[in-house]
Amino acid sequence: MIARVLLTAGLAFAQVVPSTGRVVGTVTLTISTSGKSTARAYDSRSVAPRAKPLPESRNVVIFFDGIKLSADLAHARATLAQKDEQFVPHLVAITRGSAVSFPNDDPFFHNVFSLSRGASFNLGRYPSGVTRTRVFSQPGLVKVYCELHSHMSAVIRVFDHPWFTIPDDRGSFAIDGVPAGEHTLVAWHERIGERRDRVTIRPGQATEVRFTLPVLEPAK
Amino acid sequence: MRAPRFVTRALVTSFLTVALVLGAVFGVLSLQVREQVRRSVADNLAAGQQVFTRLEARRQSDMRAAVATLAENPTLKAALDVWLTERGNPSDRTGREVLATVQREADKIAARAAADVLAVADSHGRIVASSGRLSAAWPRGATIGRAASGDLPDRAATVGSGRYHVVSVPLQLAEAVIGSLELGTALDSGYARELADLSRGHVAMLSNGTVLGTTLNATTARDLAALGDGALGDPRIATLDGESWAIQPLSRLGDVTFVALASVDDAAVNQTAAALRSLAWVALGAMLLAGLGSVWLARTLTRPIDDLSQSLSKMISAGPAHQSLPLSGSSRELDQLTFTFNALMASLVSAEDETEATYLGAVRALAAALDARDPYTAGHSERVSRFSVAMGEELTLDAESIETLRLGALLHDIGKIGVPDEVLRKPGVLSPAEFEAIKTHPTAGARILRSIAFLAPHIPIVELHHERPDGLGYPYGLRGDDIPLFARIVHVADAFDAMTSARAYRSGRIPVEAIAELRRGIGTDFDGPSVDALIAALPKLVTASEPFDPVVFQWAPHRARSA
Repeated sequence: MIARVLLTAGLAFAQVVPSTGRVVGTVTLTISTSGKSTARAYDSRSVAPRAKPLPESRNVVIFFDGIKLSADLAHARATLAQKDEQFVPHLVAITRGSAVSFPNDDPFFHNVFSLSRGASFNLGRYPSGVTRTRVFSQPGLVKVYCELHSHMSAVIRVFDHPWFTIPDDRGSFAIDGVPAGEHTLVAWHERIGERRDRVTIRPGQATEVRFTLPVLEPAK
Repeated sequence: MRAPRFVTRALVTSFLTVALVLGAVFGVLSLQVREQVRRSVADNLAAGQQVFTRLEARRQSDMRAAVATLAENPTLKAALDVWLTERGNPSDRTGREVLATVQREADKIAARAAADVLAVADSHGRIVASSGRLSAAWPRGATIGRAASGDLPDRAATVGSGRYHVVSVPLQLAEAVIGSLELGTALDSGYARELADLSRGHVAMLSNGTVLGTTLNATTARDLAALGDGALGDPRIATLDGESWAIQPLSRLGDVTFVALASVDDAAVNQTAAALRSLAWVALGAMLLAGLGSVWLARTLTRPIDDLSQSLSKMISAGPAHQSLPLSGSSRELDQLTFTFNALMASLVSAEDETEATYLGAVRALAAALDARDPYTAGHSERVSRFSVAMGEELTLDAESIETLRLGALLHDIGKIGVPDEVLRKPGVLSPAEFEAIKTHPTAGARILRSIAFLAPHIPIVELHHERPDGLGYPYGLRGDDIPLFARIVHVADAFDAMTSARAYRSGRIPVEAIAELRRGIGTDFDGPSVDALIAALPKLVTASEPFDPVVFQWAPHRARSA
C-alpha cells in the first residue's frame, strides 16, 4: 500500500518537472557483527500469534538530501496500523503536511504517542476498530510508541520534498523525476544509521546506485 | 632406702594404668571428635551451599522477573529511544525534558528494586541515567563492563573502581534492544554479610587473588586470598591464620568466586569440651574403682603375709621350738610357701639334732676312751655324770640345765688326755711336778671344748670342777659363789666317786664313809647344798642303778642301809 502511495507521488512529480532523471538501485543489508546485546530476560507478553515481520529492507528509507522544491508539496496519506502488538509497517515516509492514520486492528486498546522533537503528541486510548489520524507539519524524524505496550514502536520520516522512497522486499528501489544535477542520496536505517552517496542525475536517464548497510538480526 | 609398701605399689600401678588408658582413650576420642566435627562442618557447609544456591537462584529469578516487569515501561523506553535516536543534547529544551523523563522513570524503578544502584544504559552499556544509594559511583557516560562471555544476565562487572554484581534486563522496542536496565549490588562486605545469613557460615568473595568483601577478619581473609582462586573450586579444609577452616565454593560469577567458610576448630573445641566433661566423670569413677580394687587386692595379699611374719617372729623369739607355722588358707601360693618353710625348718632342726648327736657320740667315745686308759677309773665319767644329774634334779634345776650338767660332767676330765700315762697310773704319792701335771687337765679340757661351738655352756664345768669354796682349788683358786653351781655339783660328784672307787694304791671306801668325808669338807673343800643334794639323791641312785655297774654294787643297798 505504501509503495503504491509513493509510486503515485513519484509519477505526479515526473509529470510536473520534465527535465528530470531517474535513480534506481538496491540496498543490501549485511548481518551486523557489532556487539549489541540480544539477551532477553523474559518472553514477550504478546498473546496473539505474532505476524511475520516485514523484511528488514522495508525499514530503510532512501532520500535525497539538500534539494529544494520550488513548487507546492503534494500531501499524501499513510497508514500505520496496530496489529498483533506491532506497528505495521515499522517505517513510513511522508511529505510535510501529510496525514498518518493509526487504525487499531487488534482486539484490545492501544495508545499512540510520541515524544519526538518534530511532533510531540498523544492520541489517547482507543478501542479495536477505531482509527485516529494526525497531520505531520514539520519535517524530521518522529518516533511513535504505544503507551500500553512498551515494546511497540514505529518511525515516521517527514520530508519537505517528494524525492524519497522505501525499497521493496528485495531491497530494490527507484525514484523518478529527480532534478538533473549532482545530489546527495542517503540510505537511512533507524538503528544502523545512514549511508550517503553523491549521485549525478542526467535528464531522461536512469542512474544506478548500490547501498550496503550492516543490519542487526532481529532479536529472537 | 626402704622398699615401698605393697599397697603403695599396687595403688601407684593401678592409677598409672588407669591414667594411661584414660589418656589413650581421650587422645583417640579427641582425634575422632575432630574428624567427625570436620566432616560435619563440611557437610553442614555443603548442605548450606545447596540451600544457598537454590535460594539465591530463586532470589535472582524473582528479582529479574520484578525488574523485567519494571522494564516494561513505555515512557522510559520512549524517552530513552528518543534521547538515543536524536543524539540528545542535554542543553536543548527537548533534550533536557527527554533526559529528565528517563531520570524520573529510573528513580521510580530504583525505589522499587532491591539494589544498591540502578542504571539505564544504552545498548553499549553506557550509562544514561542512574539512581539509588550508590548512584554517585555510576555517573552518566560511565560504562558498565560486559562479561567476556556475553549474554549473561547475571555478571560481575567493573564500574569505575568498584566491582558489582550486575543483573541486566534489556529494554526492547519492536524486537530491537535499545538499551538495558542495570541493577548493581556492590560486592563488598555488606553483601558478604547478606550472603552469610543465607549460607550458614562466613562468606568471602574473591577475584584474582583479591578479597572483594568478606565477613572474615583481615588476617584470615589475607590467608584465604593467598590460597589462590584456583584452589577454591572444590570443597576443602585449609589452615587460615593458624586455624582449620572448611571451605565450600558457593557460586561463581565471572571471575568472582563466592565461598562459604566455617571454622573447624571453633566447633571442635565445643564438641571436645563436652566429650572431655563426660570423660572426666568416667575418669573419676575409674580412678576410684581402681583405688578401692587395688587396696582390697593388696590387703588380701599383705594380711596373710603379715600374719605369717608375725608367727615367724613369735617363733624366733620363742627359741628353736619345733613347732610349725599355721597355714593361712588365704591363697594356695602362700600355703605352699608356709608348707615349704615348715618342711625346711623340720629338716633343719633334725639336721641340727643329728649333728649334735654325732658330736656327742664322738665326745662320749673320747671320754670312755680316756676312762679306759686306767682300769681304776673305768666308768668314772659316766658315774659322775649320773650323780650330777641326780643332784641337779634334787636342786630342781630346769631341763636344759640338767642336760648341760649331764654332758659337762661326762666330759669333766677330758683334759687328762694330755697327762702322761705314767703320771696318771702311778701308784702311790705323786711328786710335786707330777701333781702340777695333773693340775693342768681342767684348762686343757676347756681348750679342747672351745673348738666345738655347741659345747660352750659346758666349758665352765670342765674348767672349774677342781675349784674349792675356800679358794684352795685349782686352776684359778676361785671362792664360794664365784664358782658356778654346775662346777660345784660336779666337784662333789667327782670327789664322791673318787672316794668310793678303788685305786691302784688303795681300795674304795664305802659310801657312808665317803658321805662323812664330804660332810666334813663342807665350806672348805665342798659346797654344802651340793653335798646335801647328793645325800638326798643317793637312795634314788641306788634303786635306779644298773646291775652291771660294779661300782654301784659296791655300796649296794644292804650296805648303805646298814651304814
